[in-house]
Amino acid sequence: MTTKPNVFQKIGAFVVKKSKSFKKNANIVRELVIKNVKIQYRNSVIGVLWTVLNPLLNMLVMYFVFSTIMDFGSKQEEDWFSLYILCGNIMFSFVRNATTQSLPSIVQNRGLLTKNKISEYVFPISKNLSAVVNFSFSMIALIGVMAVVSFFAPGSAFSYTLIFVFLMLPALFLFSFGLSLVLSSLYVFFRDIQHFYTVFLTLWTYLTPIFWDFGLFKNKEDMKFAILETVVNLNPMFHFVEYFRDIIYRCSVGFTPVLETFSTLALLYVIGLISLGIGILIFALTRRKFIYNI
Amino acid sequence: MKKNNQNEVVANENVAIKSLEEEYIIEVDNVSMEFYTRDEKIDNLKELIVRLIKGKAQKKTVQVLKDVSFKLKKGESIGLIGHNGAGKSTLLKLIAEIYRPTKGTVKVNGKVAPLLNLGAGFDPESTAKENVYLNGAILGYPKREIAKKYKEIVEFAELEDHMHIPIKNFSSGMVARLGFAIAIDVNPDILLVDEILSVGDENFRRKCAQKVNELRENGVTFVIVSHNMQQIKSLCQKAIWIENSEVMAYGDVGEVCEKYQEYCKEQKK
Repeated sequence: MTTKPNVFQKIGAFVVKKSKSFKKNANIVRELVIKNVKIQYRNSVIGVLWTVLNPLLNMLVMYFVFSTIMDFGSKQEEDWFSLYILCGNIMFSFVRNATTQSLPSIVQNRGLLTKNKISEYVFPISKNLSAVVNFSFSMIALIGVMAVVSFFAPGSAFSYTLIFVFLMLPALFLFSFGLSLVLSSLYVFFRDIQHFYTVFLTLWTYLTPIFWDFGLFKNKEDMKFAILETVVNLNPMFHFVEYFRDIIYRCSVGFTPVLETFSTLALLYVIGLISLGIGILIFALTRRKFIYNI
Repeated sequence: MKKNNQNEVVANENVAIKSLEEEYIIEVDNVSMEFYTRDEKIDNLKELIVRLIKGKAQKKTVQVLKDVSFKLKKGESIGLIGHNGAGKSTLLKLIAEIYRPTKGTVKVNGKVAPLLNLGAGFDPESTAKENVYLNGAILGYPKREIAKKYKEIVEFAELEDHMHIPIKNFSSGMVARLGFAIAIDVNPDILLVDEILSVGDENFRRKCAQKVNELRENGVTFVIVSHNMQQIKSLCQKAIWIENSEVMAYGDVGEVCEKYQEYCKEQKK
């Protein structure tokens, strides 16, 4: 008879303890997500419909502005342009929403953190999941535009390649969650991160081909464009946005071969995992100090 | 299969031994706590860079608690007394595992419900109902169990007609009532109470006192910060008196309270 529990019992107790705290945290995250989504559109007349309308209206503005400025080769290209903008827009909006909401999430919840024993991770996770909910609503807008474009322009946007959407979204989530972890923990210690990030987001928006086409510059042999090409290639959002367009319509109308999408998918997961790794590292190293700084 | 049974027997034996070893529900062992002082806190990059250049980025610490120890058995309650800023609330947060001690260890065996500043955990924009579910989840209860207790909580707080109103429109008394109702309805083993047993109107206060007595008879351990000696004497067996981050007296509640009151009288002179 031993008074000390053996290794297996220790592991067992550890697993039980971890799964219990996981369940508890999952409950908290669920309640927080419900709260976030509900609060967003409280007191607005059409409520959650805004999540659908917002990307649509944005697309119409950009479409109107850029289709009058830019010269499209053909009527067909002009029709596809609306889908081009919308794809870029909802991808980038997801990351923008998730990260800007997460950034102050630890500090905002100081009331909960200083009065209860609660895992710090639940706040950035719940903000990211709320952004996923909003993203799913804006997919309704995307499906609507896909239907309209397929109806008016030759070729159809609907094909089996759409299942890749579900394969790529986890990678996008990992990327934005990793970035959110970094931002929310840095914000605890340096409140001016918020201003930096706002400015950075503007720069980031322009460096991501949301309303312009990277292909337009590809063949120019100029130092400036070589630099631009490197920068754009280093921009993770470039790969996500372009991949999303590939699977939403380029594959189905034959612009991009389907096989190519597999290697890009792997790249997206590498990006997502690197971001998550850095995020968890910084968050784990700093989270014990949060409570004394918020 | 056989092996499993054997393991179970061993596990049971261990549980029995464990319960003998861990008869203490709270063990605070030589705990010290240090904080960085507020005026040295740097919360933006600009300031950090300026300080680094000036070479003034050293950290200064302030001691909040020094070598505090006490043990509580199940069913025993303790009162924390002392002047404002002595470190009582910090000790509560250490027991709630919100803070980690700089030195020493805090061991807690049981479910803790922290009642530190009622309603601080509420989200002002959410309705009272949503807040009940959120707080229940934070205290470690799954949704269906909260759903079961929901009616009881609302009834106790006497807020039946207000549950669909955002908390920001509640009066402070209503918020406190709801917070108290949630915390005591989750069957905690340990209740941490920070000067909040005097919330609400006369009626509700009486109800609180009743509920507190009921919980105490059920063997719930209380850790109470209060300036009301009468209250501490009626609820606790033990008391600990902290002054300027150090323990001045620890032991039987009557003796400690007496010493503290004498000290207060001397200070007045």
